[in-house]
Amino acid sequence: MSAERGSAAEVVRVENLAKDFRVGLRARRQRVLEGISFSVRDREIFGFVGPNGAGKTTTLKILMGLIFASAGHATIVGHDVRETEFRRHVGFLPENPYFYDYLTGREILQFYGRLCGLSSARANERVKTLLDWVGLAHAADLRLRTYSKGMLQRIGLAQALVHDPRVVFLDEPMSGLDPIGRKEIRDLILRLREEGKTVFMNTHILTDVEMLCDRVAIIVKGQIRYEGTTDQFLEAGKRETDIVFSSLPPEMASRLEERGAELRGVLGRLEIRVAEKDVTDVLREALAAGAEVVSVAPHRASLESIFLSAVGKAQQRGDSR
Amino acid sequence: MRSVVRIMTLALNTVREAVRNRILYTLVFFAILLIGTGVLLSTLSYVERERILEDVGLAAIRLFGAAIAIFVGIGLIHNEVDRRTIYTILSKPLSRTEFLLGKYFGLLATLWLQLIIMSGAFAVCSLLTNAPLTSAHAAAFVLIGMELALLVSLATLFSAFTTPMLASLFTVGLYLIGHLTRNLQDLGQRSEVAAVRELTIILHRVLPDLESFNLTTHAVHSLAVAASDVWFPLIYGVGYCVLVLCLASVIVERRDFR
Repeated sequence: MSAERGSAAEVVRVENLAKDFRVGLRARRQRVLEGISFSVRDREIFGFVGPNGAGKTTTLKILMGLIFASAGHATIVGHDVRETEFRRHVGFLPENPYFYDYLTGREILQFYGRLCGLSSARANERVKTLLDWVGLAHAADLRLRTYSKGMLQRIGLAQALVHDPRVVFLDEPMSGLDPIGRKEIRDLILRLREEGKTVFMNTHILTDVEMLCDRVAIIVKGQIRYEGTTDQFLEAGKRETDIVFSSLPPEMASRLEERGAELRGVLGRLEIRVAEKDVTDVLREALAAGAEVVSVAPHRASLESIFLSAVGKAQQRGDSR
Repeated sequence: MRSVVRIMTLALNTVREAVRNRILYTLVFFAILLIGTGVLLSTLSYVERERILEDVGLAAIRLFGAAIAIFVGIGLIHNEVDRRTIYTILSKPLSRTEFLLGKYFGLLATLWLQLIIMSGAFAVCSLLTNAPLTSAHAAAFVLIGMELALLVSLATLFSAFTTPMLASLFTVGLYLIGHLTRNLQDLGQRSEVAAVRELTIILHRVLPDLESFNLTTHAVHSLAVAASDVWFPLIYGVGYCVLVLCLASVIVERRDFR
């Protein structure tokens, strides 16, 4: 867990959140979230990452006041999420959003603007700005039923911003989009940060996390497994180093194998992966034995492999219980 | 004031949805067709032509109005949850009760608009066949409007916590019982068992008395309508709607929208 929790610039604060759902005919309680705690700081892109069914959307629905926590407490911009007031500062784009498809792009944004308490003139002004911002000015007067998935996602982002909120919550914003659509949404999210917004993003697409998020929290089986910067998270995987030799005496190669190093032949060269702590010793020994070194590079595990390892450990813990 | 604007925005959008939804046009078309059928039926009779026309016409308006109220009302909240449109709406700074009231008044406005259209068609048919149009007709239409308001509130209540299938069963059940509670009470009073008499009185008081909104007999026979025949049912109807909507609001404010 992050040691930096409690900083003054927190805009979202979640403490020991738990949620029970009632299932089956006898309405048995099933705990789906347990002791969820994390915080989101001002003007950062925060990734809430986890496999399907981990509890990401349930957490987000509690934050949006759509469902109520069974225990714990959450505040957004200092307001309890059970209040209505905090929603003046919040925009929300649900996963695979559905809007009234009998309305046009312009009408739906005017509708949401009026719901947010904007005057008619102010709503019209915001609608025009946002349609330009998301690149849908050309489709403003088409009904939403004619929109593509990417266009719906962009109009969804526009409705989340119609009242110029401080924090924007996105649930799987890239879900189901083609590569072009994903890039468009990714660029818009980066622009949100440039404009000083805080972005909270639920996702299981790890490349998006690597490209966008300043900090992440990993949720597995309803519990937070990690919270910290994305860089710190990636650092966790930087424990091995790849050394490539153009030539390596056979006796040296056998000695390295005996020590547990992993050897691979690549294009006439020999690559070994050694633990970070052994790099100096291996290099000194190999050079003394007459080896020629081509490169030395830290092996950075992908976010995906670190994530899978975290999920695997969590599952093992769950199985052993 | 802002609350009123938000409720109005939701209500206007609900009306707009109905206006752009062709199914409702179809229902109104069939209602008008049935009113027109009354003209045809009245020409087949030598006696009481006007009475046949008015009976069929008013019955068509009541039945189609009730059908639209029930079958659109039962999905009013459920459909928003099912289609997940409620997620983006409730993430805006408005309360769940405002949402409920916006949807309720939107559907009510739609139904009243349709009632005006059907009443207009009825008036045209009456004028074409020289059937009398009196103040009793106007009073009958006003009370049909009130009955529809009550039916929508009941459908909205059930829509707030159950599936459309169950909500339709409950609402149709209450609609039928609501037209029978007076008869039930009369029957109960003839019983020799005191508990049965008490029970039918309680049922009559608790369940909606929809027959109090029925001025068809006055309209058909051109009977004089006393002011109290209109005001009392209106006050009763508004009070009942407020109670039902308060109950719906308590449910909506507490439930999880999963």
